[in-house]
Amino acid sequence: MRPFLLEGGSVSQMPVAEGKSVQQTVELLTRKLEMLGAEKQGTFCVDCETYHTAASTLGSQGQAGKLMYVMHNSEYPLSCFALFENGPCLVADTNFDVLMVKLKGFFQSAKASKIETRGTRYQYCDFLVKVGTVTMGPSARGISVEVEYGPCVVASDCWSLLLEFLQSFLGSHTPGAPTVFGNRHDAVYSPADTMVQYMELFNKIRKQQQVPVAGIR
Amino acid sequence: MADVLSVGVNLEAFAQAISAIQALRSSVSRVFDCLKDGMRNKETLEGREKAFIAHFQDNLHSVNRDLNELERLSNLVGKPSENHPLHNSGLLSLDPVQDKTPLYSQLLQAYKWSNKLQYHAGLASGLLNQQSLKRSANQMGVSAKRRPKAQPTTLVLPPQYVDDVISRIDRMFPEMSIHLSRPNGTSAMLLVTLGKVLKVIVVMRSLFIDRTIVKGYNENVYAEDGKLDIWSKSNYQVFQKVTDHATTALLHYQLPQMPDVVVRSFMTWLRSYIKLFQAPCQRCGKFLQDGLPPTWRDFRTLEAFHDTCRQ
Ligand SMILES: [Zn+2]
Repeated sequence: MRPFLLEGGSVSQMPVAEGKSVQQTVELLTRKLEMLGAEKQGTFCVDCETYHTAASTLGSQGQAGKLMYVMHNSEYPLSCFALFENGPCLVADTNFDVLMVKLKGFFQSAKASKIETRGTRYQYCDFLVKVGTVTMGPSARGISVEVEYGPCVVASDCWSLLLEFLQSFLGSHTPGAPTVFGNRHDAVYSPADTMVQYMELFNKIRKQQQVPVAGIR
Repeated sequence: MADVLSVGVNLEAFAQAISAIQALRSSVSRVFDCLKDGMRNKETLEGREKAFIAHFQDNLHSVNRDLNELERLSNLVGKPSENHPLHNSGLLSLDPVQDKTPLYSQLLQAYKWSNKLQYHAGLASGLLNQQSLKRSANQMGVSAKRRPKAQPTTLVLPPQYVDDVISRIDRMFPEMSIHLSRPNGTSAMLLVTLGKVLKVIVVMRSLFIDRTIVKGYNENVYAEDGKLDIWSKSNYQVFQKVTDHATTALLHYQLPQMPDVVVRSFMTWLRSYIKLFQAPCQRCGKFLQDGLPPTWRDFRTLEAFHDTCRQ
């Protein structure tokens, strides 16, 4: 598994004509992929909900509340991921959602915090590319691009190869290596690594939420 | 063809010899005519006998004379058949009914063809010897001739010997682990794990590699019964390609007299895939071509090339 996420900001730097919307940029990207020879293979969805540590537990510990993110990925339909920023990633089965309801006293869902990305999966040789539109509530906030190179299990081994592939449809607007590539040299990539990257991407997009989409270029 | 015949053949003598044969034949038939006719009517029995004997004697004399003449001429004719490059078969060219039995021209063609075949086989053998491993090139040429029956014995090597060879190779390469098992009787199966890049299933027959399948590090290599799955291919195109190349390598590293060298050479070559995703193509300098990394490794230099970039 070798996903790689393009944060909305990076994609927005693509030289799209003035006034192009997120949707138009997504179309441009997918058209480039199709020209390359990539084939459509269904759709995908990754969602994320933010939970605060409940006020009652805060007082007893005397600490600032930590944020917890509960995420789902259609690629792993039987799993549910619970992540803390810079913290551990818990992989549970989907019953975890029910558990969260029972844990209301300790973790409370942040209002209107749900963010998700939806889009089309593309297969090109051994590459799996997912171009998604990131939405919060009703509005489109940015674009996520995930590239997975299935044959390679060690992230840092195939970064150069991935970069060359990204350049073939993103042009020169390719980002630097995500932190997950440098962290652990020869660690075998896991689904949790993908979720951490999506979490970081979503957090970045949340912080940009004041910026109007049309202005992101 | 006239050239061929003129060598050592005296045509004049030939013609004379033929008429001598005719003469001999007629004198011989006269002898039998005389015997058949028997004694002719003469007045006295004595006269009849005398005339018959004299006649018979004359005839025998002429047979003798004709025979001597033929012998004399046959020495003059010479021996054409021994001077002909095709020996006696060259005489087929004398056959007057060429159209019905074109044996001679067919024979010449077959002769030329077999000459050419021998020549090309010689060239091919020379080239193939150059391609083999340096340390064993001489060995191959010599031993193949002198010990042509050595091959079958290597098919029945004791399992212990196979185990030893494999474990020695296993120790040679730290980034490569080889697990040997014998799920189906005496034939060994190897599961080779190369770093965190790929896994290879190697099916052995004694020390000969019969079949090899390359799969991803995270792919399942076992069948439902818990044995190594030697039939299904990798789900990834890149490893399907590497499988093809590994099969080519098996055909390349051939050395029937020294199967352990073959296995070691093959493993050395296989080890170069440790950089499968990290080595750009040595020809075009790129990582990807048609979505695939450089899957080919040169048999001698072990350099990485795209399938289409190799010579
Ligand atoms: Zn190349």
